[in-house]
Amino acid sequence: MMRNSSHPSHPVAQPPPAPDSPDTPPPPLRGILRQVRGRLTTAVVLQAAAALAGVTPFVAVARIAAHLTGGSRPQAGDLWPLVTVACVSGLAALALGSAAGFVSHIADNDLQLTLRRRLADHAGRLPLGWISAGGASQIKRAVQDDVRALHTLVAHTLLDVTALFVAPAAALVYLFTVDWRLALLSIVPLAAGAYLFGRAMSGAAAQMAEYGATLGRISSTAVEFVTGIAVLKTFGRGRRVHDRLLAATDGFSDFFTRWVRTTLVTSTGALLVVSPVLVLLLLAAAGTALVAGGWTTGADLIPFMLLGPAVAAPMSVVGTRVQQIRAGQAAAARISALLGMPALPQTEAPLTPQGFRVSVRGVSFSYDGHTDVLSGVDLDLEPGTITALVGPSGSGKSTLASLLLRFQDVTAGAVTIGGIDVRDMSSACLYQNVGFVLQDVRLLRASVADNIRLGRPTATDEEIERAARAAQIHDRIAALPDGYATEVGTGVTFSGGEAQRVSIARALLADAPVLVLDEATAHADPYSEALIQAALSTLAAGRTVLVIAHRLPTIRHADQIVVLDGGRVAERGGHRELLAAGGRYATLWKAQSTGRDETREEAAVPAPAVLGRSDDPTIREREPRDDS
Amino acid sequence: MIRDLHRVLGSEGSGPLNRLLAVQAGAAVLQGVAFALLVPLLRALLDDVSGDVRPWLTALVICSLGYAILQAIGLSQGFTAGSRLSRVLHRRLAGHALDLPLGWFTAGRAAEFGRLAGQDVIQVMNMPAHLLRPLVTSVLTPVTIVVACLFLDTRVALVLVLCAPVLLAVHVWSTSVVRRLDDGRDGAIAESADRVLEFVRNQPVLRAFGRTAEGYGALDDALVGQARGDRLLIQRGTPGLVSFAFAARMVFALLLALTVSWTLDGSLDVATMPALLVLVGRLTDSVSTAADLGAGMRIARGSLQRLRALLDTRPFPRPADPRPPGGADVEFDQVSFDYPRSTPVGMGRGTLLADVSFRIPERSMTALIGPSGAGKTTVARLLARFWDTTGGVVHVGGVDVRDISPEVLAASVSIVFQDVYLFEGTIEDNVRIGDPEASEDALHRAAALAGLDQVVRTLSDGWSTVVGEGGTALSGGQRQRVAIARALLKDAPILVLDEATAALDQESEAALTSTVRALAADKTLLVITHRLSTVLAAEQVLVMDGGRITERGTHDELMALRGTYATFWDQRGRAEGWRLEPAR
Repeated sequence: MMRNSSHPSHPVAQPPPAPDSPDTPPPPLRGILRQVRGRLTTAVVLQAAAALAGVTPFVAVARIAAHLTGGSRPQAGDLWPLVTVACVSGLAALALGSAAGFVSHIADNDLQLTLRRRLADHAGRLPLGWISAGGASQIKRAVQDDVRALHTLVAHTLLDVTALFVAPAAALVYLFTVDWRLALLSIVPLAAGAYLFGRAMSGAAAQMAEYGATLGRISSTAVEFVTGIAVLKTFGRGRRVHDRLLAATDGFSDFFTRWVRTTLVTSTGALLVVSPVLVLLLLAAAGTALVAGGWTTGADLIPFMLLGPAVAAPMSVVGTRVQQIRAGQAAAARISALLGMPALPQTEAPLTPQGFRVSVRGVSFSYDGHTDVLSGVDLDLEPGTITALVGPSGSGKSTLASLLLRFQDVTAGAVTIGGIDVRDMSSACLYQNVGFVLQDVRLLRASVADNIRLGRPTATDEEIERAARAAQIHDRIAALPDGYATEVGTGVTFSGGEAQRVSIARALLADAPVLVLDEATAHADPYSEALIQAALSTLAAGRTVLVIAHRLPTIRHADQIVVLDGGRVAERGGHRELLAAGGRYATLWKAQSTGRDETREEAAVPAPAVLGRSDDPTIREREPRDDS
Repeated sequence: MIRDLHRVLGSEGSGPLNRLLAVQAGAAVLQGVAFALLVPLLRALLDDVSGDVRPWLTALVICSLGYAILQAIGLSQGFTAGSRLSRVLHRRLAGHALDLPLGWFTAGRAAEFGRLAGQDVIQVMNMPAHLLRPLVTSVLTPVTIVVACLFLDTRVALVLVLCAPVLLAVHVWSTSVVRRLDDGRDGAIAESADRVLEFVRNQPVLRAFGRTAEGYGALDDALVGQARGDRLLIQRGTPGLVSFAFAARMVFALLLALTVSWTLDGSLDVATMPALLVLVGRLTDSVSTAADLGAGMRIARGSLQRLRALLDTRPFPRPADPRPPGGADVEFDQVSFDYPRSTPVGMGRGTLLADVSFRIPERSMTALIGPSGAGKTTVARLLARFWDTTGGVVHVGGVDVRDISPEVLAASVSIVFQDVYLFEGTIEDNVRIGDPEASEDALHRAAALAGLDQVVRTLSDGWSTVVGEGGTALSGGQRQRVAIARALLKDAPILVLDEATAALDQESEAALTSTVRALAADKTLLVITHRLSTVLAAEQVLVMDGGRITERGTHDELMALRGTYATFWDQRGRAEGWRLEPAR
């Protein structure tokens, strides 16, 4: 109804809109469709009835022809009932067919919503490590594209295929009662078409794989073209991306030409032998001979002229249908693979922590199961103290912090809060106890107030404003045309530093006793750095803080400094203690202060390292991700 | 739509398309004639009086064979046209894109251009075989049948001619109903796609604050909204879609009733009547095929329009009488700028630059500072003519950049952006693109100035290290050094650094600052930065805010002014002293 493409189609020369992977395992389509099986069965039955009713008018017309040519004068009493039958059955076919389509579409409509909700719900339980490592686009594809790809299969193809089987079969049954010789003959185009289509389709799976690959090269070089042309052109090398794109597109059209050439004769032949003109020619010529020979009558030819083309017609769309089924199966496979992916387990019997002492015991973590990002880490955060994680990028600082937030689960060991393993706490309870302000802030497309209210849904407007004031962002919000009701993304675009302060307001409102902080947050935006720092200081006060540190002077006064290197704790202690020890921390401190001293000499005011942001909205940031 | 297709294909692709359409038209007419020939043939078979069957059968054989030949040519041309069309389209697309203003290529365009070169081209290459051929057939075959009916039975022909406008009207109405509903759904689909992406990207925050899929109302609302839009289409669209099939069946029923009554009153002979019904059956069959093409047509039309929009985007006109710049000074004269309307939504709103004037003398350094969105990068891009200004003039060496040939301008200006692009290849390939003929010496000198030599030393493959697609094998700081090295190797008289050192650590930053200062001796430098050490080296500091230059002067002058600039540095000073301290 919406995406129906029932026009005749070459089995291979019409590429499907999206390449489906040919080597997906046997499709779990059945499982996905279970929910709507009853309604789909109803739709199929209705469609079968529609196909039968659709053949009936032709039978009635054939009966009328038989009456007319029966030798005696045609009687009105014989003809009009047949006319009525033809008209009523024709309308019944339409009504039944529409009902079938309506039922299948409504079933699909419900299925789509259920699947999308299930997928979204499941995505909300998958480990964040997987989501950030490319899983996000898989989820988006499944929720939107794959569910939509199922639509064609569920709403259209199933019914089309039913009609393709029932209508010719019913027609053939009737034709055999009329004249078995001509009926046999009318199977010939069907059989010839099936044979030729089979030949044309052989090896299609391998071809589809190459089709997908060549098409993939086009899209990656197209992306390269867009991202690279500015730089290359300023170096006078614009042709380079142009030529690479053309190489990819030529590869595609060369492949396609080859593919079409190998199947051209068989598919053209197949479409010709099932074409109405040639089917009718065959039947007319044979019929004429049979009539001349006295085997049959002219009147008996009429049913074949009416129904003969319908027997072979299904072959002309078989290629499209096969492709739709394959695409649907591939989409179903991706959907169930995602739904089958193990979620972060939720405990059956949640426990409540006693106190806020955080302890990390023998913790190891690996993203891929081979290389450990963290190994054997022990760490204690005493209530009300600040602990800083220090170390080169890739040492595991962010990963360790993310385990505390249970963005992923430890591979070995345990993280406990108030004596309770984070895995034994409900997520609601965990996040009541642990808050965070990380570097990469994205706000939701909702009002500013709702973005802050995320921290505590029951918060009053006064509480929100108080949090915003403490986070140094109230003035900015108050100056917006709609104040706190302004929608983020459409009504206002916050700079990096402003977004940070909104997220700090949110964390203030949530008021969790344990706080995970990324110190780099403070220099997201050099023009509001001081404000963010003030906000962070307010937030950190009186909490148990774990801070991922980049600039050592900031955390010089921390109660505990933990130096990570290669996923292990290399050193720990206070600032003076570690400096005196002359180990890794001392080296890092020296390196950083050298840089600082150098700038201090030339400038009255030292310039700190800045995580620059593009000031041009057309340039998307591509910051290297720390640790992960 | 066919006109659009011709526009998109250009002259190279249009010839084969016209031949294909002509062949198919022939096949369609012959098909109609073949169907019509069945009437006298059947009449002869049904009624011994009407004469000999053989001439009609011979005519049918000839006509059918003619049809088969043309149809075979049409089919195979349609199939092979696909790959030829894709080649023509891709070449036109790539060739045109190469000449587009660089500003067109924003990050948001990557996906769009990928879809144009992928899905949209495929939709269009499918058109001849899978849309145009069937369309030609389903129009011309019925027309031929109606014409043939004039010779067989004028009354039937008359009824058909009278019914045609009704069928057409119903078709137009039902298509417009479905299209309207379909369009109404687009918003809901976009909203839902948006929310899904938002939901996935914001997982850390949403999870932490207990907003799982059920708890995140905005997502569920969007999903329900999408489902509701679909359901509306099903409920309201069904009558529209059924109406055409209903009308076609009513035409058939009408003719059945009429022919039966004409037969009963003797005005139609009993042998002709069934034969005519066979023909009418064929007619309604062909007409129904046309109705089924609607959905495919809508999709293909969308693709065609997107391709046309790109091909219609005008490249910058090349200067008729190009002039070389008479030096390396840069001047912005009352420049204002606003993104063209075709830029994707959300990329820029309102005026980006307003009345920006400044001059950078040859061999001097200007620093540009200001908060996010102030327009700093836009200034850099206008200098390299990514866009043309909306008002005012950008001069390089005293010549309007629009009068300088693109190649000469590219040779004069070297830009290092914060967002570094490296292409697949080795570090050396990427640096050498600055000057493929550069000597080893020059290469190493540029590398040393950019601090790239240190990077190369630590990598086991050294200069031959493969950077990976987009440079992903290197860290942000390493990528920036490669970008700086190649800009230095290019040795253009004007150098623009747009936060080029943002990803560098403090040590290499300090080293690079001295490089920049050394370069100022013989280059025109425009540096966008947040670093005081760099700003201090500049002869001129421009402070931008909201697309305007709000303050200008030397560091000391600006500090004395006690304006935005001074406030900013005061705050930075306080920020530097920040520490996280346990509350005691």
